[in-house]
Amino acid sequence: MPGPASKAAAIIGAAEANDIGYPQTPKSSLTLHIEAIKNVCDSTGIPIAAIDGIFSAGWSPQIAEYLGLHPKYIDTTAVGGCSFEMHVHHALAAIHAGAINVALVTHGEMGFSQRFTQGKGTGRPGGAGDPWDPATQHTMAYGLGGAPTAYSHALNRHMARYGTTQEDFAEIAVVTREWATLNPRAVMYRKAGEGDLPPLEKGEWGGGKRGHTFGGPITVDTVMNSRPISWPIKLLDVCLVTDHGGAVLITGPEIAKTSKTPPVWIAGAGESISHWNMLEMGDFTQTSAGRSAAAAYRMAGMGPEDMEMAMIYDSFTVTAGITAEMLGLAPAGEGFTLWKDRHAAPGGRLPINTNGGGLSFNHSGMYGMQLLVEAYRQLSGTAEDGGFSGDPGKQTSARSCVVNGTGGSLSTTGTLVLTSD
Amino acid sequence: MADYTKPIPSPDPVSQPFWDGAKEGKLMLPRCDDCNRCHWYPRVICPFCHSMSIEWVEATGKGTIHTFAVQHNKGLVARGWGDDVPYVSAYIDLAEGDRMLTVLKGVDPNDPESIQIGAAVQIEFEEASEDVHIPFWRPV
Repeated sequence: MPGPASKAAAIIGAAEANDIGYPQTPKSSLTLHIEAIKNVCDSTGIPIAAIDGIFSAGWSPQIAEYLGLHPKYIDTTAVGGCSFEMHVHHALAAIHAGAINVALVTHGEMGFSQRFTQGKGTGRPGGAGDPWDPATQHTMAYGLGGAPTAYSHALNRHMARYGTTQEDFAEIAVVTREWATLNPRAVMYRKAGEGDLPPLEKGEWGGGKRGHTFGGPITVDTVMNSRPISWPIKLLDVCLVTDHGGAVLITGPEIAKTSKTPPVWIAGAGESISHWNMLEMGDFTQTSAGRSAAAAYRMAGMGPEDMEMAMIYDSFTVTAGITAEMLGLAPAGEGFTLWKDRHAAPGGRLPINTNGGGLSFNHSGMYGMQLLVEAYRQLSGTAEDGGFSGDPGKQTSARSCVVNGTGGSLSTTGTLVLTSD
Repeated sequence: MADYTKPIPSPDPVSQPFWDGAKEGKLMLPRCDDCNRCHWYPRVICPFCHSMSIEWVEATGKGTIHTFAVQHNKGLVARGWGDDVPYVSAYIDLAEGDRMLTVLKGVDPNDPESIQIGAAVQIEFEEASEDVHIPFWRPV
């Protein structure tokens, strides 16, 4: 008997770029991608605009941005020459699942011409570092670097559009810190020197029960008086930079029954992208979480009104505020009120970032796993399980949680709806 | 010129007409021959209608401030920019449509409230090397 996905999809066309082999004039890898895409769409009669899933070896965000597409499925698996066969497998699964209708698998690689361009035009996963990468070429002159230098533009735009203030966003940092003071695993759990442990020596590891120079409870004034990083973003609007490791296991219901720990069900999932470089962010006050959440809620048959808590990627206070709006948890321009009015706080009706968030718990660069771990702990009722460190967190009564990760420069989003039963 | 210490972009075959125009003090933009919309950054395909008939046109060099930020942190900005902090980065809505990143000239980074989102700005070019003149914008 064939498996359920057998013949659920077919390859309906194939094409190459205009200049392959040993071309006379070098073209960038990105141009080779685009030519091949244009050609296969022309030959099949499927418009580029109909593509709703992009599969490539490291290039998918750039391809989507370059084509002005907002795909529903982005796979950029890069594991060597066999990547493209894997992409076909993944595309089959995505189509069989009903997630997408038209999957693009694409390739562009200037293996020959790069000898004559000193490596320019070859691209890198994500495009960083290639001087011919178009977004890099037209932004590098202006010196923007770390994430805060970009996200500050979104905060300023939000303030101009909605009349919000720096103080409004500071409320997010204050309430998130309150959660961290309930979680001994959080870097900002307490101020250094408090508790029964000696104060830190210079160069010594900080965080958790040892405390942090800036740890413990804070106020709006603390945030406002912290030093400017990229105005209007200040130090305490910015997430931590820490170490972290985490993992989750996912199985079907039969194996789940045999697990020693309780299951938390994946009721809904969605993903989307609006751009890769911030230069291409159309509306600085909105992210693709609007689309990824809509997909996740639809799959779950639930809505934002059914969510009893939220785990929201808070790389910056502005990320959390905007995302709360995108997830439908607050009206446009009013995301911060969830924190300011203490709905998101301990004891509130909609706890948010119950671990203390990327702002005050832990942020290793990529924070998405921390979101998953905390959502699992809350919904499985194991938040007070100290685990390896022996340090319990604060258990809430939530039975459903919307989880939203944000990547790039407010570029990419993945939304999950998780439930206890 | 030789003393330009900030990052200098590398023109590529797709963007060369833009950089050629910049050397003459002109803002050249790619425009789709089919849907007549300008786009930025330059592409071989129109991001709006996916036509590959792209022509280059001279733009007005006028725009408005979409949003801005003041860069204070030396460690977060690129080589060559550290000595310039605080400085004002901004996204400019072009009169012809679409948006550019830039650094604003002629503004006070220590008084961000004096800079207005929506304010009119004009392009200017700075010679970074013989081949590359970099666009900057200044309030009118």
